[in-house]
Amino acid sequence: MKVRFVLPAAFAVLAGFATQANAGPVMDKIKAEDSLVCLVNTNSPGFSVPDSQGVYQGFNTDFCRMTAAAILGDAKKADIRGIGFSDSMKTIVAEGADMASRSITRTGTRDANPGMRFVVTTYYDGQGFMIPKKLGVNHASELNGATVCAEEGSTTLLNIADWFGDRNIEYRVENIADKSARLQAFFAGKCDVLASDRTALSSDRLLADNPGDFAILPEVISNEPLTLLSRPDDAFETAIYWAFQVMLNAEAMGVTSENIDGIMADLANQPKGVQRLFGQDSAAGEMAQQIGLPADWSYQIIKQVGNYGEVYDRHLGPNTSFDMARTATANALSQDGGLLYPDPIR
Amino acid sequence: MRVLRSQIFWQVAAVGLLIWLGYILAQNIEANLAKSNIVLSFDFLSAQAGFDISESLLSVSATSSYGAVILAGVINTLVLAVCCIVGATIIGVMMGIMRSGGHYLGERIAGLYIEITRNLPKLLILLALYLAMVTTLPVVRESWSVFGLIEISNRAVYFPIVEQGFGLWWLWAMIAVWPIAICVLGKVARRIQDKTGIRYPVIWPVTMCVLILIAGPAMIGLIDYQISWPVLKGFDFAGGGRISVQFVVLVLALSIYHGGQVAELVRGAIASVPVGQFEAAKASGLSFAQMTRLVILPQAIRAAVPSMGNQYLNITKNTSIALAVGYSDLVSVMTTSINQTFRPIELMTVSMCVYLGICLIVSWLVNIYNARVIAVRA
Repeated sequence: MKVRFVLPAAFAVLAGFATQANAGPVMDKIKAEDSLVCLVNTNSPGFSVPDSQGVYQGFNTDFCRMTAAAILGDAKKADIRGIGFSDSMKTIVAEGADMASRSITRTGTRDANPGMRFVVTTYYDGQGFMIPKKLGVNHASELNGATVCAEEGSTTLLNIADWFGDRNIEYRVENIADKSARLQAFFAGKCDVLASDRTALSSDRLLADNPGDFAILPEVISNEPLTLLSRPDDAFETAIYWAFQVMLNAEAMGVTSENIDGIMADLANQPKGVQRLFGQDSAAGEMAQQIGLPADWSYQIIKQVGNYGEVYDRHLGPNTSFDMARTATANALSQDGGLLYPDPIR
Repeated sequence: MRVLRSQIFWQVAAVGLLIWLGYILAQNIEANLAKSNIVLSFDFLSAQAGFDISESLLSVSATSSYGAVILAGVINTLVLAVCCIVGATIIGVMMGIMRSGGHYLGERIAGLYIEITRNLPKLLILLALYLAMVTTLPVVRESWSVFGLIEISNRAVYFPIVEQGFGLWWLWAMIAVWPIAICVLGKVARRIQDKTGIRYPVIWPVTMCVLILIAGPAMIGLIDYQISWPVLKGFDFAGGGRISVQFVVLVLALSIYHGGQVAELVRGAIASVPVGQFEAAKASGLSFAQMTRLVILPQAIRAAVPSMGNQYLNITKNTSIALAVGYSDLVSVMTTSINQTFRPIELMTVSMCVYLGICLIVSWLVNIYNARVIAVRA
């Protein structure tokens, strides 16, 4: 009887040592299970919301699919799960998921945690203020004495306290947990200002009876680099990082999911950069070998998910109800004055 | 003797099992925390919290410690619980009496109220009431003024207050004297009534005296009450006192919700009073109000007290829905703190201990009261 319990335990201990000795335990696990567990927001329009089939769709979920396409060759092999904010990081640390694409801000103290790694920033956001236009306020510095509505339990509360405190501006906060109660309180004038990430504000604004009555103030009071989070594993982190660079490079070179098949059929006549990005006997192929990815990983990412611009336009761009401008913002490519800088693949 | 011994065996076994389960739980938590690189510690309680809360009787700000902010949350929870308990008791007793009063319309109205409140979730009542208040009441700049004294808006109710100083002390002293005088003189009046049969009024004369003592010195210039009036300034009223709309909504919603349950308890308790008591009271010529107050309620209370205690505990725990509408109660403060500190186990332990403490105190008070009403019967 006893042996029955002892033996599996011994194997478990041995296996533990074995995987720790290996360079990429997370990568190995993902390949062995042929599936990648990726955490997203449960309900965040534009970023991740379940569709009518219950499958999560949105900007954030596409980076889960990008990683699955790069490592497993099939974007559908991403096991996308919705989870609350504070639980997401705990789940990664407790090894309950492989990565998170959940609008998580990379901060110093969070990155200091040895149980998780911030890999690459997919969206540069910042906290801002929305006000009813009839208040006649043009700058956040005019808000002395105002009542601010904010989400319960988020870093929003701390950023507001810091920003108003630093400027000696008095304010009153109402941290309302229920989203509809919070928005209704703001639209009905119970609070003068709504504070949140600017992306969230622009999607909340659409919920007003008359969105034109509300404006977002120019001040950005915090830096929110929304960053992909993974379990610590060199090979896995490298795969995520460079999969994202493939999406940026593809956009810079004008390669999309639509035209990639045509480009691949005629690869020899393409610019050198495109050849390096997709040719299996060039830079991309060499990287695949070293990291341990399928030889056609870069092709699969663009074919199945698309380049960064496609993903942005699909979920947040002018053809969506969010209509969030990308030109002249931090989320444009570096060649267009933004912060997204495609690292060279060579 | 044999039966007793086996009983002892089972009790010891049960206690042993509990201790063993507790040990397993503690060890499990410890092992899993160690595995996730987490160490239990309450040091963060003295660290700076860095966030503001919506309202507080203490002066806390973003520079206060987590401990101070959590204490402010506890006090907010207590204030809310006390107001809801008073509200639910008043509504519940009135509705319970109406429900069993024998008046057709009264019984139907109370019955309808009880059925509606007992069959709706409290969070729904709260959110519906909140949205209704927020959208119907005017914004601060167009607030409704009640005789120029009170300003009502969808943000808060603003009213004048007496500022710190001798005037405030005098006012508090008079407010404290009022119930004491009523109790003492009430006893005297009862003794006189027992002796002579003449009932002297107590409540009205005492109230008048207290009012004269409050207003008189101010009229002849002895005391200057420094009154601070709410004045619209910029985005909000400055000066005066304020009660937030979310607090009013919470008290209303929880009082209405639990009032229905209290009403059913009161109805049951009144039904437990023997019919002969009603008939005897009517036969002695008492009016309905006198019968209810002097004969029926004193007997009904005995039957109602234990289950009322239960209701009070429920009300106390149900104040935790406050975070949905932005009232900074214990749970609201705890949730924010967990997100900043990532110390869910410590913070939930603190909150559970606080709720347990509050509930034990409430049930202790109810037990004392229960022992008293039972002693009166014996």
